[in-house]
Amino acid sequence: MDFSTSDKDLWKQIYNTKDLLHCFNCSTCLSGCPASHGDPPLLVRNLARMVVFGLEEDLLNDDTPWACVSCSRCEEMCPMDVKPFEMILAIRKWQTSNDETRVPTAIVEIYKRGYTQAVGANTELRTSLGLPELQTITKMPEMLKLYQEMLMKTPVVSENDYMFNEE
Amino acid sequence: MELCLFLGCNTPAIRPDVERAIRATMPELGVDIADVEGYVCCPAFGSFPSTDDDSYLASSGWNLSIAEAKGLDIMVQCGSCYSSLRMGRDHLAHDEVKLARVNELIELTGRKLECKTRVRHISEILYNEVGAEKIFKTIKKSLNGLHGVIQYPCHTLFPSEIVGFEESPREPKALRLLTEALGATVDHYSRELQCCGGAGGFSKSSPAEATEFAKSKLDAIIEETKADFIVVSCITCLMYLDNIQKKLNEAEGAGKYKIPVFDYNQLLALCMGFDPKQVASICTVPRTSVIDKIIAG
Repeated sequence: MDFSTSDKDLWKQIYNTKDLLHCFNCSTCLSGCPASHGDPPLLVRNLARMVVFGLEEDLLNDDTPWACVSCSRCEEMCPMDVKPFEMILAIRKWQTSNDETRVPTAIVEIYKRGYTQAVGANTELRTSLGLPELQTITKMPEMLKLYQEMLMKTPVVSENDYMFNEE
Repeated sequence: MELCLFLGCNTPAIRPDVERAIRATMPELGVDIADVEGYVCCPAFGSFPSTDDDSYLASSGWNLSIAEAKGLDIMVQCGSCYSSLRMGRDHLAHDEVKLARVNELIELTGRKLECKTRVRHISEILYNEVGAEKIFKTIKKSLNGLHGVIQYPCHTLFPSEIVGFEESPREPKALRLLTEALGATVDHYSRELQCCGGAGGFSKSSPAEATEFAKSKLDAIIEETKADFIVVSCITCLMYLDNIQKKLNEAEGAGKYKIPVFDYNQLLALCMGFDPKQVASICTVPRTSVIDKIIAG
């Protein structure tokens, strides 16, 4: 591995907490991690090393942080309080802000209708189960407009606004 | 007591029978339900929490402030919604700068967030506020003679200092005691605390490995217990452990995997005598073996 071009201060950009530097690669974060069984495996301790060593290009191209199931076992078990789940989210944020192809399509869905699913559209099924009509934001156009206006003031939406414009 | 029910996306859209079970059972136990009108995605960890703090916490704040305006705490069944909302609230409650920024962002709603509203999981409400004894006294039918196993939702256990409510996250017991209150025998098994693996990108980016991972859990249940059913209290665990069994049977061709999966409130609703067609009708693995026994008493 070539460290000559690595950015030693990269960790401050990605996950600026001294706790990260306490990681001694014990691998407790892999124990019980579902995504560590994946292909390629999510190896949290390796990601921590990559952040500390400043391996910018490798990190930018690494898909494994997105395989995390958010179960937070690593967060619970880490003996050095690195908060590995927070680190995973931090790496995703950094990747997203540096590479627009990383912007999750789910946020476009949420922007357009408030949810990742078509909540409240299954009226017939809901009625047959004896359920009330839901006051979803999708059915409240003025409220949805305010939500979109709010999101437009946040970095991911304002910087990628072309993804959110209505056709 | 009265609580705001935060439904999330999957329950009302894909498994509304679970929503029906929750709406039917909780008031019978003294927990009245208010809606969170105009709520948005919790937001799911793969969405705004993976892009930036502003959009994540503004969405948390949007939801929390609706309940706060009603002066009510929030009750959640979905593990991911529970964890996202609770972690979002935790960030805001301990960081004045972030809270001020969120209040700036949600100002256009006319609402203000003070982080007074707490976020609570439905199994914690059932365990701590209602209690197993009251449940035992309320039900009309029981799970006597049936064996169940528990799938604890990871998002209610870890990280325990933020989302936890069990005395020990390594030895959770709320769902076991609640299930025993319905008359069932709860069997333990070696992979009881193993994640279902259904959330996040894992099952999409590594479908074969994720299926194998779920198989190891189901095999342990089949080999080590007399389980007639699996109890969960998370919509992801429910849909994943139910649907994956069909996939496994297609691969193995033997029909080996046929353990019905229930959300706890569905079993509770059945034991209270509610119509199975309304409270427990949507599933992949047929539930008739369990439902017929409950009805027959």
